[in-house]
Amino acid sequence: MTFLELVNFYIIPGLVLGSIYALGAVGITLVFAILRYAHLAQGDLATLGAFVALAVVTGLGIPPLAALPVAMIFTAAVAVGIDKVFYEHLRERPKIVTVMASLGIALMIRSVVQVIWGVDAESYVRGIVRPQTYFGLRIKDREIYTVLFMLFLVGGLMLFLARSKWGKAMRAMSDNPNLALLSGIDNRKVVMLTWIIAGGLCAASGVFLGINTEIKSMMGWNMLLPMFAAAILGGVGRVEGAVLGGLVVGVAEELSVLVLPSEYKAAMAFVILLFMLLVRPTGLLRGKVL
Amino acid sequence: MTPLLSMKNVRGGYGDADILHGVSIDVASDEIVVIVGPNGAGKSTAMKSVFGLLTLRGGSILFDGDEILNWAPNRIVQRGICYVPQVDNIFREMSIHENLEMGAFLKKGDLSAAYDRVYELFPDLKERRKTMAGSLSGGQRQMVAMGRALMLDPKLLLLDEPTAGLSPKYMEQIFQICRDVRATGVAILLVEQHAKQALAFADRGYVLAAGQNRHEGTGAELLADREVAEMFLGG
Amino acid sequence: MELIGLANYALFMGIFIGIYALLALGLNIQWGFAGLFNAGIAGFFAVGAYTSAILTSPYAEGRLGGFEMPFFVGWAGAMVAAGLIAWPIGKICLRFRSDYLAIATIGVAEIIRLVVKSEETLTNSARGITNIPRPFGDLPYVQSQAAYLSIVLLCLGLCYFLVQRQFNAPWGRMMRAIRDNELAARAMGKNIEGRRLEAFMFGAALMGLGGALFAHFNRSITPEAIDPMVATFLVWIMLILGGQGNNKGAILGAAVVWIIWSMSEIATDQLPAEYAIKAKYIRLFLIGLMLQLVLRFRPEGILPEPTRGESRPAQVSAQEKD
Repeated sequence: MTFLELVNFYIIPGLVLGSIYALGAVGITLVFAILRYAHLAQGDLATLGAFVALAVVTGLGIPPLAALPVAMIFTAAVAVGIDKVFYEHLRERPKIVTVMASLGIALMIRSVVQVIWGVDAESYVRGIVRPQTYFGLRIKDREIYTVLFMLFLVGGLMLFLARSKWGKAMRAMSDNPNLALLSGIDNRKVVMLTWIIAGGLCAASGVFLGINTEIKSMMGWNMLLPMFAAAILGGVGRVEGAVLGGLVVGVAEELSVLVLPSEYKAAMAFVILLFMLLVRPTGLLRGKVL
Repeated sequence: MTPLLSMKNVRGGYGDADILHGVSIDVASDEIVVIVGPNGAGKSTAMKSVFGLLTLRGGSILFDGDEILNWAPNRIVQRGICYVPQVDNIFREMSIHENLEMGAFLKKGDLSAAYDRVYELFPDLKERRKTMAGSLSGGQRQMVAMGRALMLDPKLLLLDEPTAGLSPKYMEQIFQICRDVRATGVAILLVEQHAKQALAFADRGYVLAAGQNRHEGTGAELLADREVAEMFLGG
Repeated sequence: MELIGLANYALFMGIFIGIYALLALGLNIQWGFAGLFNAGIAGFFAVGAYTSAILTSPYAEGRLGGFEMPFFVGWAGAMVAAGLIAWPIGKICLRFRSDYLAIATIGVAEIIRLVVKSEETLTNSARGITNIPRPFGDLPYVQSQAAYLSIVLLCLGLCYFLVQRQFNAPWGRMMRAIRDNELAARAMGKNIEGRRLEAFMFGAALMGLGGALFAHFNRSITPEAIDPMVATFLVWIMLILGGQGNNKGAILGAAVVWIIWSMSEIATDQLPAEYAIKAKYIRLFLIGLMLQLVLRFRPEGILPEPTRGESRPAQVSAQEKD
């Protein structure tokens, strides 16, 4: 196999898949760091986002990228609503109770999707897209804009966290929740913001997975493990770490096909997760360990 | 003159069990008052009770004319009391400047006057304002923590063992900063493990034992008291 | 005729309740007593089912097997295999908060599902393993069901007795001490990871036994035999509704939840076909909702944990400092 083949068949698809994981992993890492629990419904929120975009695409006849903002806003609102209705009253209980509740929410979201849209695979646009060739690299347009949009969304988020008052409040809450409360930072607003961001990014992750592959009710659940592996690999609480982790997991999954039967592609994320917990639980960029 | 803060016979604790069995402490608006006592005497608990961090079952806490017993910490901050915990009192992964900014979170409008005031008190911090607070030394962290608390222009600053784990040199520096802070019109109530040094530096002191007042007086009076001396000051 | 049909149905229900009660008992060791979140119950169940199936089934072309061992060897093997799968996971994850274990158990269940689906030589992939011997399977139908029910109940009773005895032994007291106040237990020099690992493995072994009982009852096991999410959820709801930390509660919860679940299936089966498929997903939604309701309104369950001192898991936050 030549180097170009390696890049074309494994690295590029890996980076695209990794960008999709990264979007979900950023939400996971923020929820983990600020609310301090593992949110297991993250994948199914992505599924919901993908199907909402599908409804918009088929209903209005607009391209999926135009439907993306609608899906993001809708999913963000759903995430905030789920927190208000189901998680908020568990806040005083041990965090693991909320983890359990979130697993139930995952099932509920998925079954809503299955009732409304069924279980068959769908796609946003019919037809085969041929890749373009740039200097020997075979890349599809949608692959380019998946990566670009990921960088744009995460870049915007990082700017928000670094510069804005509420972004800093989110970092403060992640850094030292007691002191943040003593400083008068309104926890409820920080929590709501966290869900808006996590929900919106989840939807983006689902929509881009749908653009690059297909849309089906299990798509998000199947992304849950890679997204968590990415968040832990990068370091919990580290937005840039989640992106790095996502890309590494995506590429590793694609490359795993070289040594493992392709059925076990999904196992790669699990191996990375256990390996990181074993050797460096703080992740590559020194995140938190809860 | 009525004191700025007047705790009367405060009783309460964290859960169902009382730790404080009647603590009374006054702080005037231009005073540095220290609480000392043996381990487990309820010193830090007494201070936290002012800030609404535990369940109080009796007594009264008057601050600047308001009964603040069992107010939420949020409201107490806005009323003009700021609290510096003993540990975990900074945002480690934020710069010094951002730490101060978080301290002023509740403040609307221009913050430059507040920054100037704090940086004037702590010139060291101004030079390193972009440094991550977690990378600072213990004494500098304490300054960041105090600076953060001062951003809201409180009338009363609560310090929980500000010199714990610091070298004597830094201890003296922290005490000096307390005097400087007082000079800007902020009263200070602090809990101290180093009873001797603290009583020598404070205006007045309270000695607590087993969740109750045991002695009170000016620093000099307490240092001269034989019983107090035997209790903690190493005879 | 009606009566026999009803009796048959009751036997069938009894067997399933017994199997689920074993799973709930296993989860109670892990969650109720050690505070460990296992979200991959179905994985350990499958390991047990397939291990016993491989050990006891007759030779079949193209896959591992043909050992034809007696069923009790298969069941013991199921427990050992499930416990062994739990070991590395516990070893790696139990140092951290249970959130990590939750994710890892989801992962391990997922991988077990992949192995079951794709390893032709081990599990005969999609076709599954058939001809699994069933104890007293040669008797006429009703007697055979009744005999199997007795075996299930015997297993359950034995496990209940052993687990209950273990909980009242110093081991159980230590488990609860660790769960309720990890810091204090650590300060007293307890080997927390070691105890947790034991609890995790014991619980997994019971789940493996549950899987084995299921496989032998059906005489076959296929990847589609149980829906992993449904099984995992049902067991969780059984334990929490029945009363986490209470072994009797776990068994009672299994009975109550399984009866409700079966009734809802009977109800939705009456629907016309085009709704019946949707109804399946609506029932999934209801399981998720039921979990939320139980967590919110009845976290201590029908039979709360017998209080010894102040050890109510729902009240004690692992997060609390001081």
